[in-house]
Amino acid sequence: MKVLVISNTINGRINSNLSNILSAANNLAECCDVFLIGKLIQDSLPNYKCINNVEHYPIDDSLNHALIVAPLISNRILDYSHVLVAADSYGKDLLPRIAGSLYLSQVSEVSEIISPNIFKRAIYAGNILAEIESYEATKLLTIRVANFPSYTSLAANINYKQLNSEVVNDIRTKILFESISNVDTVDINTAEVIVSGGSALLSKDNFDHLIGSLAFQLSGAVGASRAAVESGFATNDCQIGQTGRIVAPKVYIAVGISGAVQHIAGMKNSQVVIAINSDINAPIFEYADYGMVGDLFTVIPELINKLSNN
Amino acid sequence: MKILVCVKRVVDSNVRVRVMQDNSDVDIALSKMSLNPFDENAIEEAIRLKELGLTQEVVAISIGGDKCEDTLRTALARGCDRGILVETLVSHEPINIAKILTSVVKLEQPDLVLLGKQAIDDDSNQVAQMLAGKLNLPQATFASKLRLSDNKLEVTREVDGGIQNILVSLPAIVSVDLSINEPRFIKLPQLMQVKKR
Repeated sequence: MKVLVISNTINGRINSNLSNILSAANNLAECCDVFLIGKLIQDSLPNYKCINNVEHYPIDDSLNHALIVAPLISNRILDYSHVLVAADSYGKDLLPRIAGSLYLSQVSEVSEIISPNIFKRAIYAGNILAEIESYEATKLLTIRVANFPSYTSLAANINYKQLNSEVVNDIRTKILFESISNVDTVDINTAEVIVSGGSALLSKDNFDHLIGSLAFQLSGAVGASRAAVESGFATNDCQIGQTGRIVAPKVYIAVGISGAVQHIAGMKNSQVVIAINSDINAPIFEYADYGMVGDLFTVIPELINKLSNN
Repeated sequence: MKILVCVKRVVDSNVRVRVMQDNSDVDIALSKMSLNPFDENAIEEAIRLKELGLTQEVVAISIGGDKCEDTLRTALARGCDRGILVETLVSHEPINIAKILTSVVKLEQPDLVLLGKQAIDDDSNQVAQMLAGKLNLPQATFASKLRLSDNKLEVTREVDGGIQNILVSLPAIVSVDLSINEPRFIKLPQLMQVKKR
């Protein structure tokens, strides 16, 4: 078993979900190799105990996209029995491209590694869990980050190889600009508390004022239903559900969210679900550990008030 | 300029899918089937480019059993000019779909291939990227906005934490997000008309 983890840097830092992918890799082998792609400015190289070798490809942010990265590393992929990347927008863009160029199949959004060749993943908006058996000599997996804990053991030193391999620019793709929301806010993927709002908030002002403040009081992250995102109350990266993010915080507070199956698919692994909704028949209550039937415009300000007084 | 739109026939998003008693597969034999919602957005985007006069022909392709003809007719009713059905007896993994599409792209020589970013049955999110990798063409995944001019396509992508704008040269492969547009409502007469085509 030879396991490779591919990760990237974001704004000069290591992608924070690397530790989750390492714990997934740990299910397959004690140690793995890591390919880290992108410039490091604020972080040093990762020194987790389970890493054999780190190969660092310090390519510029403007070149760190699938058209350039896939050919850069695809000739190394077949040396491994398993290749794991996060099922985030970087991994989902990159790994299938590599798979296509090597004519390999891929198992997406793996939530559990049952054995070296059997993987569990959700299908039909998370309503059904499928066990997939792969016969490929090299198994390509994207990993659902929220289902694996962070790997934390550190080692004294790391085997580090910086690769200054010539990166050939490909003019067929050019990154024009990127607007990544404030990195100082709590990361929704690793947050212990998520406060999510739905279309019942009625406006962006209400959303920011009520959901934002409640999340701030609880040191949590802000989430949103698809309806809220489409109404422009929240940005797309906050969207939780089948087509957005899949999260599993300790506490998930759903405010004014009715609970369509697509939304449930994104949050049902949360440890404790608290739902606040004015409609007693809202399906979200079926999944909630604590439910409150009430008008969010009275309940939430009261809650914020009580929390800020403590 | 020609656009190829890839469409998949899937279980309707309102159907609650059940598992067979022996847990061997999902039981969808009697389920209502529909056009994959993400592919509806891909068709809509292609049709809008055509209405703007930026493309001359929009060709829809579907891979699967003979029932996929319905899916293609829906695509025609939405404004596609032509439909291609690649008939298969079994359902295929994304990598094989990408392989079939590679051959179709080589035959049809489209300037732009539009796909939904994922199908709502297996939620794999693979085919567009695999196709781009196999053909060694530029890719733009999770697109929420397209602007086409001078053989270049500016794409706004939905990425973690925000958005990214990229410029890709054509031919290119683009997978679209639901946020890219609001697919139009098709009227029954339009749907009836294409039965004859």
